[in-house]
This record gives sequence, C-alpha cells and structure tokens, in this order.
Amino acid sequence: MSEAALSTKTIDAPVLEIDPYSLEVLRDPYPFHERLREAGPAAFIERYGVYAVGRHAEAAIVLNDHARFTACGGIGIQDIRKPGDFRIPNRLLENDPPGHTAIRATLTKYLSPIVIRRWREHFETEAKGLVEELVAKGEFDGVEDVAEAFVLKVFPAAVGVKLPRKEILAIGEMRFNQSGPPNELYHRAMERAKPYLEWFENSVRREGVTPGSIAEMLFDAEDRGEFEEGIASNMVRSFVGGGTDSTITGIGHTLNKLAQNPDQWALVKADPNKVRAAFEEAIRLESPFQVTYRTTTGQAELSGVQLRPDTKVGVFLGAANRDPRKWQEPDRFDVTRDTTGIHLGFGTGAHICIGQMIARLEAEAILRALVTRIDRLEPAGLPRYRPINQMRTLDHLPLRARLG
Amino acid sequence: MPKVTFINPDESRIELDIPVGTSLMRAATAHGIDGIVGDCGGGLTCATCHVLVEDGYLDKMPAVQANEDQMLDFTAMGRSPCSRLSCQLVVTEDMDGLTVRIADPQL
Repeated sequence: MSEAALSTKTIDAPVLEIDPYSLEVLRDPYPFHERLREAGPAAFIERYGVYAVGRHAEAAIVLNDHARFTACGGIGIQDIRKPGDFRIPNRLLENDPPGHTAIRATLTKYLSPIVIRRWREHFETEAKGLVEELVAKGEFDGVEDVAEAFVLKVFPAAVGVKLPRKEILAIGEMRFNQSGPPNELYHRAMERAKPYLEWFENSVRREGVTPGSIAEMLFDAEDRGEFEEGIASNMVRSFVGGGTDSTITGIGHTLNKLAQNPDQWALVKADPNKVRAAFEEAIRLESPFQVTYRTTTGQAELSGVQLRPDTKVGVFLGAANRDPRKWQEPDRFDVTRDTTGIHLGFGTGAHICIGQMIARLEAEAILRALVTRIDRLEPAGLPRYRPINQMRTLDHLPLRARLG
Repeated sequence: MPKVTFINPDESRIELDIPVGTSLMRAATAHGIDGIVGDCGGGLTCATCHVLVEDGYLDKMPAVQANEDQMLDFTAMGRSPCSRLSCQLVVTEDMDGLTVRIADPQL
C-alpha cells in the first residue's frame, strides 16, 4: 500500500497538551491514563515530541513488533543514539532481535527456571524469619521493613551482587528518573546518586561480584566467548536495576492493596496459593514500570493512526493495565481475576521481563509467609507514594499485623 | 471448535473444544488440567507448559520462535524433537484432532 493510499484512511495522532511527568500526574497517573486511552489508539505529547499509547491492544502491538518499533533508541523518552543522552545503553533491553536473541539465550542459560526454582526453599526460610520479626513489631513499614528488607536480603545473595540499601536505592532512583525527561526529579536524583556512582561502577565489575555466583559465571562465560566483551558487566548492571526496585515496588503495592481490601485479604488467607494472583493483580493495578519506549523505524500506522518515522513511542503499561476495553471494572483489586501473562506489567514480546520468575518467587515467599502467620493486615496510616519519572512506587506504607 | 486431546502422565485423556485463537496452555489451565502449570502465563520465562506433540501434527504447529527455542532447553523433563511449550500453540482450524502428551515433570 502506498503512503498516499494510507493517508486517505488514517488520521494523525490527536495532540495531548499534558505533561505525563509532572508531579501532579506522577502522584495520581490515572486521570492522565484515561485521557490518553480516550484520545485514541495513539496520541502525540506535544511537550516532548513523542507519541503515547495507553490502550492494551495497541501497547501489545508496539511491544511485539520490533521491525516497526525498535528498542534500539532506548526504553526511555530520549533517543540514546542521539547526542545529549549519556545513559549507558542496556545491551539486552535496548537492542532488537537478532542481536538481542543471542544475548538473551546465553543469559537465560545462567538464570533458567531450573536455576531459579532451586532458590525456593531458601527464600521461604528467610521469609518466615522476617515475618517473625514483623509479628514481634506489630506495626511496621510495608516498604522498608517488608519489601526492601526481604528483596535486598535474598536477591543480591542469589545472583551474587552486593546491594547495600542506601546505595542501591539512590542508584535506582537515578536510573528510573533518568529514563524520563530532564525535569527537576531527574536532576535531583542525579545529584543524590553522585556519591554512590563510583560504588555502583565497582559493584558491577568482576572484582565486585561474589566469587562462585551467577554474576561471576557471567564474567566466566564472557571469558569463554559466550558473550561479547562488556556484556557480563552490562548484565550484572541489569540485575541491580531490573531486579530490585521493581520487585520491591510490586511487593509494596500488593501489601497495600491487601491491607486496603479486607475481603481480598480474606480470600488469600483462606487459600494462600492466591498470593500469586494477588501479586499479579497488584502489578496490573499499580504497574511498577509505568512506561517503556520504542522508536518508529519508518512511517508507521497503528490502528488507523499515522505515526511519523524516527519518533519515540511511549507505551504506558500502567494505562494499558486499566484499559476498560480489556478489563471489567479495571480499577478494582480482585485476586480472582485471571491476569498472569495478560497484564503488561512485565512487558510482552522479545523483551518481556527476563527476571519475572525471580520476582514471582520472591513475592510468593514473603506474601505466603505473612498470610499464613498473621490473621489480618491493616493500614496503620496513609500510604505515601514517591514520584519517579518511570515508576509508580510507594515510599511509606504503615501497616499493622493482627493475630487472632 | 477444534478438538484437542491432552494425554496426562497417568495415560488418562482429556478432550477439549478450544476456540480458535486460544492457546493450549490457557485452555488447559482454565479446565484445571494440573499437568500444565503455566506459571508465567505465556511469557516464555517458566517452561512449565511443556507438551509433546503426537505424530502427524508437528508440521501443523506454528514455527518455534527464538524465546521458545531457548526455554525448551530448560524444561524439567528435558527436550525432545516433538517438544513444544503449549502457550505458543494458539489453536487454528488446522489443529482439529491434535493430540499432545503432557510432559512430566513440569517443575
């Protein structure tokens, strides 16, 4: 079909004069999400010169079609191939098949589901220990005392990296603000992370990882030529970025939703296997990674909307995960909903989250330990969100555990 | 609706009518076929919906894509030439009469 023929049947993307990265939107993204979805299959965010997609069907199309929507321009709002952006590209994520396929295949070998399942018993033991401490406290913070405490204890040890809390949280905040526009959040996070940058660079080097660990195996694999030079360090960098903040956030949201919805807590209490569904549903409802970008390779048509070539397309996963075209009562937290593999919280397509089974194992271990040990989980104050350009995350979550 | 037969590890058989466009994994889990776990919901990260496609149907299946090919190496039972992950077997009219054996173990 010629472009002329196309143009008679398609429209330009409607323009949205809104800043998806304003503090107002980041604190409560859902009115923006609705505007975005209702604007059409794709909209143009004038302020940044990027497209935005908020409907589930089109989000999946963009994430699955790497020929038309490349990841090589980076998963943030800026094009990492162009001057002015100095972020270190992720060689797995910011890459397309076939180059991506070989790296992913090798990484999968060292982080296969068989490897991950061996961690279960240890994670469960650690979770039970932590829950005893929480029960003794009675009141605790769902973010710092539960999600952070658990993830930062078991995940770094499992993969062989060292992640002290203060350092890793500052680095995480930098990375997930850096993928947004250079706004105040971005500059502040960069400034705060400065004292820890050297630590971060060292922690992802061979000398910084635990001997005999998976992280070291990746360096050994690179020595054997299984990876190109530099990939091992780059992958260890992804463990730090992809494996901590997002999982902490997802567990935090699950605790928050279970505390806010006693009827859903009761369902999970009656059948602790439902903690898995609760985690998926929380990720659907409050997607830790709110947005990921692709870049149009050429002129592209998306459900009747014409997109210009070489332009960033923001896929708003959080909006797609509440799209009423896909979900009934999308704003309701419902642990009986079938969401696994349907919500886009882990992405979809070639770049679907490679660590999702690790995140699930961590979440299941701590949530199951909590649900089986205590009778009720109650809010002990209002939750507070922390605005981050790319994420939807909790800062404080005061909770109370009730026995009997 | 195409009919697909699942052979359980204990040799019992379950026949399902599966709408075109639905994956074997989703149909099986929705009908409570325990041998298909499908932990990741079709994201090609868990390798727990492993099936062996019975004779005569392998060439009617969609081609194996890279992520599935990678994950088949990490099935708990181990890979055989007729191994597929059932989340990738989205039913078409052509698949009517298909029989798959459920791999054992999945975990």
